[in-house]
Amino acid sequence: MISAIYTFAMTTGANRVIRGARIEHVCGDPSLGPEKDYAYGMRIVRKALEAITVAVTGPTLFDPQAGDIQEPSHAS
Amino acid sequence: MRLEMGSFPVRTISFGPATRWDAGHLTVDRAAALAEVRRDPRIVTAGLDIAAPGDSVRIWPVRDVIEPRIKVEGPGQCYPGICGRDVATVGEGRTHRLSGMGVVEVSSVNWHDAGGDFVETYLDMAGPFAEMYPYQRLQLLCAVVEPDPALSDESRNDAVHKAALTVSDHVARATAGLTPPERKTFELTPCDPALPRVAYIWGVHSPQAMSGSLTAFCTATYGLTQLTPPWVLHPNEILDGALTGPYRTAFAMSWTVANNPLFLDLYRRHGRDWNFLGVIVLRTEWTTQHEKQMIANQTAKTARMLGAQGAVVTWDAGGNEFIEVVRTIQACEQLGIKTVFLTSEDDATDGAPTMLEPLPEADAIVSTSFFKNVTLKVADPGPVSRVIGLERKIVHRGSGVGLHGGSDSALPTAGTLPPPWRYDDHYGFGSLSCIE
Repeated sequence: MISAIYTFAMTTGANRVIRGARIEHVCGDPSLGPEKDYAYGMRIVRKALEAITVAVTGPTLFDPQAGDIQEPSHAS
Repeated sequence: MRLEMGSFPVRTISFGPATRWDAGHLTVDRAAALAEVRRDPRIVTAGLDIAAPGDSVRIWPVRDVIEPRIKVEGPGQCYPGICGRDVATVGEGRTHRLSGMGVVEVSSVNWHDAGGDFVETYLDMAGPFAEMYPYQRLQLLCAVVEPDPALSDESRNDAVHKAALTVSDHVARATAGLTPPERKTFELTPCDPALPRVAYIWGVHSPQAMSGSLTAFCTATYGLTQLTPPWVLHPNEILDGALTGPYRTAFAMSWTVANNPLFLDLYRRHGRDWNFLGVIVLRTEWTTQHEKQMIANQTAKTARMLGAQGAVVTWDAGGNEFIEVVRTIQACEQLGIKTVFLTSEDDATDGAPTMLEPLPEADAIVSTSFFKNVTLKVADPGPVSRVIGLERKIVHRGSGVGLHGGSDSALPTAGTLPPPWRYDDHYGFGSLSCIE
């Protein structure tokens, strides 16, 4: 699940949570201008695609702003 | 900060040759009031109408209901900051109010055109649907205004609300030289240090994210609606209308904010049952996790800096705004501030939680019923004899906003209509009870 309120997504039980941008535009940021908005969006979507290749044992956060896939961090 | 509130009860309203209040009767010089409204060149049409409790009347569209209040001593202006009014800090001196009445802002102008958020409220003055709202018990003076359609959204909003405030000021001014039949002094007097210290955390929607505008219309703090850090307001500022503006649902319009029974009771019992510290206005609908968590932390921190041991929390919205509200409760509890939360419940018919994020710290909750009229199974209000406002009402069906089912349509306002989709009684006005 790509979500701007990512810890909430984790507490509801989503297994793979990808940190989105903002509620009104989860996959991008129009204020960056078209090119950077697109690149940011692609980064989020790529991270989401990578996430479904990773085995998880519980709600796990994937952060597109953190470069490579991070160590899964489990919600309490 | 000391404020004397003089109340002039209004039991009947009629039109007459001069605007005056006399022994519970308000006479309104319609031509003079409308001449003041028409002084604003943005207004194209303007009319005034009267609706009384029990009348077979439906008022549509209702953007706001305003209780006429005017400062007769002390700095500033009631309902400060909005529509270009003075921003001087209010809450001192003497204020007069016309109690038992409201000026209704009636116009086709939607508050903003983004985010699928519509003015949906209509008011009936008779029947069971009317009994669900506090307005049916009021004498209503309706300002029906349409501005130049060529103007921008925000300019039309400003013009329409300014017109309603002009009517409100016009009638309130009639009391300026009179001695109020009822007076009450409001002051946060020093009190027994053993009394528990309580703050009111008042969640208020911001339309900034939905509208994409910093100046979109909504309940405003001294005229501002944008997403801002928590504001600490003296309760007297609330009494002078520092928090005011049109709203999309019936229970957070200017009249209900000014007459919030929870707030008034907190104030009335100051020095007796607790030490009321004041109001923290929490703006809601922040759009990132960072913002939501930070505003929750900062609101709780502000309450602690005020010395709060307890806090009462309300909100006036729905959806994702719940996150910053419930996390404020969590942050308060983690700082040792006990909280009580007053809220309506979400639709639980499909198995969803009645609270979007049920956190364990939110363990003292007062329910004011369900958020949606459809969950409450409110029957469609039947036909009425007279309509104030527009002859047809758009009913949004199946659009995610209407939730009435079927397709959008424009129905005769005077006929049977589905009730507005929301029934969120934020401050505990309602007279609904439940069958267990």
